[in-house]
Amino acid sequence: MENGLTVRKKEEMSIMEKLRILSDAAKYDVSCSSSGVGRRGDGTGIGNTLAAGICHSFGADGRCISLLKILFTNECIYDCKYCINRKSNDVPRASFTPDEICELTIQFYRRNYIEGLFLSSGILYSPTYTMELIYEAVYKLRTLHRFQGYIHVKAIPGADPELVRQMGLLADRMSVNLELPTAEGLKQLAPNKHRRNILWPMRQIQQGITQNKNEIMVYKHAPSFVPAGQSTQMIVGATPESDYQIMTVAENLYKKFDLKRVYYSAFVSVNVDKSLPALPEGPPLLREHRLYQADWLLRFYGFEAGELLSEKKPNFNVLLDPKADWALRHLEQFPVEINRADYRIILRVPGIGVKSAQRIVRARRNGNLGFDDLKKIGVVLKRALYFITCNGRMMYPTKLEENYIARNLIDRKEKLPFDRDGMTYRQLSLFDDAACQW
Amino acid sequence: MEEYYLSCEDSLEGVFTGIYDAYLKKKPHEQIHICVGEEENYRLFAVYETCLPDAKKTASVARTIVREFGQEAYLSICRALASREMDKGEAVYKAVVAGFAMKNKKELMGNLSNPYIHRVFEMARFTANEAHYHVEFLRFKELENGILYAVIGPKNNVLTFIVPHFADRLPLENFVIHDEKRDIYAVHPAKKDWYLVCGDEETGRPERRCSDGERKYSELFSCFFHTIAIKERESYGLQRNMLPIRYREYMTEFQENEKYKK
Ligand code: SF4
Repeated sequence: MENGLTVRKKEEMSIMEKLRILSDAAKYDVSCSSSGVGRRGDGTGIGNTLAAGICHSFGADGRCISLLKILFTNECIYDCKYCINRKSNDVPRASFTPDEICELTIQFYRRNYIEGLFLSSGILYSPTYTMELIYEAVYKLRTLHRFQGYIHVKAIPGADPELVRQMGLLADRMSVNLELPTAEGLKQLAPNKHRRNILWPMRQIQQGITQNKNEIMVYKHAPSFVPAGQSTQMIVGATPESDYQIMTVAENLYKKFDLKRVYYSAFVSVNVDKSLPALPEGPPLLREHRLYQADWLLRFYGFEAGELLSEKKPNFNVLLDPKADWALRHLEQFPVEINRADYRIILRVPGIGVKSAQRIVRARRNGNLGFDDLKKIGVVLKRALYFITCNGRMMYPTKLEENYIARNLIDRKEKLPFDRDGMTYRQLSLFDDAACQW
Repeated sequence: MEEYYLSCEDSLEGVFTGIYDAYLKKKPHEQIHICVGEEENYRLFAVYETCLPDAKKTASVARTIVREFGQEAYLSICRALASREMDKGEAVYKAVVAGFAMKNKKELMGNLSNPYIHRVFEMARFTANEAHYHVEFLRFKELENGILYAVIGPKNNVLTFIVPHFADRLPLENFVIHDEKRDIYAVHPAKKDWYLVCGDEETGRPERRCSDGERKYSELFSCFFHTIAIKERESYGLQRNMLPIRYREYMTEFQENEKYKK
């Protein structure tokens, strides 16, 4: 496959050129989060981690840049139809050496450009061979350079399980991409991949994490295994699944595989292929955004996928966020009394986020709250007023009628790319005030 | 009714001393006010007094706050006092007074319907948010002598809140963070404790010539910064919301920007 010429070319390629090619090839992976594990430095090397994660920059697309997100190599023996690196594409190819990856990580980290490394890879020769290369780079980083910052590594389906286990003892987070929401979708677009092979390492990592937790309870100093948990990603809009199907899959991943995060990636059409949709209007960003909002509702607001969507209503409302949409379909449960209602009920009110709900429950212990107090606390009254009372009174007399409220809740300013709640983009968005740790 | 204005130094010590002196007066608290720095609107019948920061009084007030209101309230108060807002002294003082009237004093910061406590909360949040932004966006440059050097220009006095984070993460590095608005430096010698230096006291300002490596890595990072964005999702508005413009003059990837713009 390789003649002498391409081999020589590879040796001469500068680190700048490699970085350009291998970050360009890695950019379609959404995750850049550095959250999930808080670890102080031990004083002998470089690095620590913060449980909430840290973004270090925001690119021209407004996405958070937290980790040095690169591929080890963009060579690949597979031919997934949606992927820029597929075997059949004629694109410039490059591979890092483990030392180059260490150098870039350490030098970027010292300058506070990044929180750590997110290393993924195309498949060179075989999954196990590729995983070995990744392992070598991460091993050097952790031991030789005593790097204690964040490391996220892709587990490559089909790689030797023992390697995956070893890797998990060095990485903070691991992920296996589901790629497409259903097995049929996968068969259509990724002929070399199989659902079973993807779920298998996911299960292995899950079991590793559970087992490790037990070990740590017994021996405090047992090395930790994937302490920041595992995540995955689904491409949205390349195959015909509904939002309901996608949310059900996500819910299962959270419940049955204990995933920390599921990412949704609006399909970006990089290859011309008759089995792919054309998407003349660009990637389905609105849809992706609604999925993230709903994902938030599953993880932090106590909702279930079946409450938000159903077979009969399989897709999210384009005009309303899923929480407002749910509330409007359940007007019989409102208004709720702010000074008495249960925390879980308050969480379901549009315009009240997790932080505000916590503050309400705390502040009302010191006396009854009025609408002014709610405003100070950070409640968006413009949205909440239809759903709440303070001391038995609504903010002002208003019709409790679905269409009327809907018209008032539709946020005309909610335009692409939905920066207002920041859910999709800033990993700290759960805290309306960025940070409590400083 | 006589009104007292205690004018304090713009520092934690200053305001804590002011609070101590205010309690010494044994007068109703409504008649006493704390102002920080120069008071602009002199009132005709008010009594003005200057409090000089006093270490003993400061320590006593700090101890009382921690004991009565707990660590959370103490931290919020420290953050509020790092604020650039001039009513911070009065807000903290009156929040403390309000706290003593509460049944459960440990809940001080939860009592947001009190206007002074809410004000402290607001100022503390502003400082904490700005500190967080600096932890994210601060950039070190490597100087010729190997020292990592960062310049910041925060609105609030966040320096002391962010240094411990960097000291923990870069224990083997010699680094300096310079707040150019206040002309203070945090200095961290490798493997040692960090300390603050004021601009005018500083001897031997480090030579600011960058190392050769610095050029290489800042170019590499700028390259990464530009390729990692997805063209089909480009949105400068979103970028601006997430990364306010005022930070960019200090950030390597934007300083290098020109070269990569096509
Ligand atoms: S395995 Fe598929 S998705 Fe991964 S790099 Fe190869 S072609 Fe792309």
